[in-house]
Amino acid sequence: MNGQIHFTLNGEKVTSDRHANERLLDVLREDFKLTGVKCGCKEGECGACSVLLNGVLANSCMVAMGSIEGSEVVTIEGYSKTKRFQALSDAYAQTSAVQCGFCIPGMVLACEALLAKNPNPTDAEIRKGISGNLCRCTGYNAIVEAVKIAAREGKGLW
Amino acid sequence: MVTFSNGYLVDNLADALKIRSEIDVTPYAGGTDLMVDAKEDAVYLFLNKIPELRRIYSDEQYLHIGAACTYTEIFENSLSPQILKDAIDYLAAPAIRNMGTAGGNICNASPKADTALIFYVADAKLRICNTSGERILPIEDFYVGRGKTVLQKDELLVEILVPKQGLEHYYYKKVGARQALAISRVAFAGIFTTENGIITRCAMAFGSVADTVLRFRDLEALFVGKSIAEAKSIRSQFIANYEQAIVPIRGRVSAEYRKSVCMNLLEDFLTQNGI
Repeated sequence: MNGQIHFTLNGEKVTSDRHANERLLDVLREDFKLTGVKCGCKEGECGACSVLLNGVLANSCMVAMGSIEGSEVVTIEGYSKTKRFQALSDAYAQTSAVQCGFCIPGMVLACEALLAKNPNPTDAEIRKGISGNLCRCTGYNAIVEAVKIAAREGKGLW
Repeated sequence: MVTFSNGYLVDNLADALKIRSEIDVTPYAGGTDLMVDAKEDAVYLFLNKIPELRRIYSDEQYLHIGAACTYTEIFENSLSPQILKDAIDYLAAPAIRNMGTAGGNICNASPKADTALIFYVADAKLRICNTSGERILPIEDFYVGRGKTVLQKDELLVEILVPKQGLEHYYYKKVGARQALAISRVAFAGIFTTENGIITRCAMAFGSVADTVLRFRDLEALFVGKSIAEAKSIRSQFIANYEQAIVPIRGRVSAEYRKSVCMNLLEDFLTQNGI
């Protein structure tokens, strides 16, 4: 008798028949077709697979399915329907913070996790907040600027 | 208790220990080490929803840190000593600190474990349980080598007991190739305490150097009971003893490099304490 895994995904209750030892990353991409969750390294080094797990930033490549029973998972697909996302998206556009785009879903969620805890971060705090998210187009400065703009123009959202 | 294929999810310690006693499972706390090298046939015992493993509380002598507390939870808890917070602040990156646990860091038994180093120098003890009882071990007795511990198949690490007193005057340095997500090349933690001008404690631990964290209590003892001036007069002997005792292994960086970084950090620690 092998139980299904139940969790909330982008606000909807879902179940998965996957083994408990499988990666959340693979389930999100393959079963739920949430391909905004990127696979970069499968060892927690790049942050491209970042999701919000019970409200905190997590690398979905390092989360085994059995551990998320009853949990809430938000991916970029779910987050993109929020006002906070819009504020971040507008700010990223203003500073041209997106180049190839591969790191961006994880990067945006890292920014959300940061702003949710600290609505007025300093430069150093922003860099720390996104320190687990690698951008190989070297766009960090533009991203840091974008977070500051989002914090300012999205005042009250966080 | 929920039974999945390849995993068990429990919500209390008694059930977790019962499973440990009956089934061959890999304890899973945060997953940040286990999932790097995820095995297809792994059967996990998920510990992340067990309240007894998620508490941080203090009694007269010790701060008790539940083995499945995440780094973020420890960092944000006002009871946690600053030396431990410093190590967590330089550990990996936010997403890993949100999931990774102190108990996992200890049980994974890497000599590079950033928080294990702090527990070593702080004289922390480990509370280990099975269905018939518990045992409490000093952390250095827990390790038998790289990736090897004395944890038995029916046991779980439940709490880390960190002494509440005497950790205020510390030194911590992590040397890595970059600031975030760095695996330590050498990490050093020291604690130095004096009372009425007499050294009462001079503890030093070296991480990422050998198969386990290194600490030499017999060499530390040389300074205990001495004044700063007396310690200063035997400084070169003290350093020579460590020069002999530390035998680094070659890894991603050379043994020579590790050795010289260890000695530099040791000397800086002594200098900063007036020795």
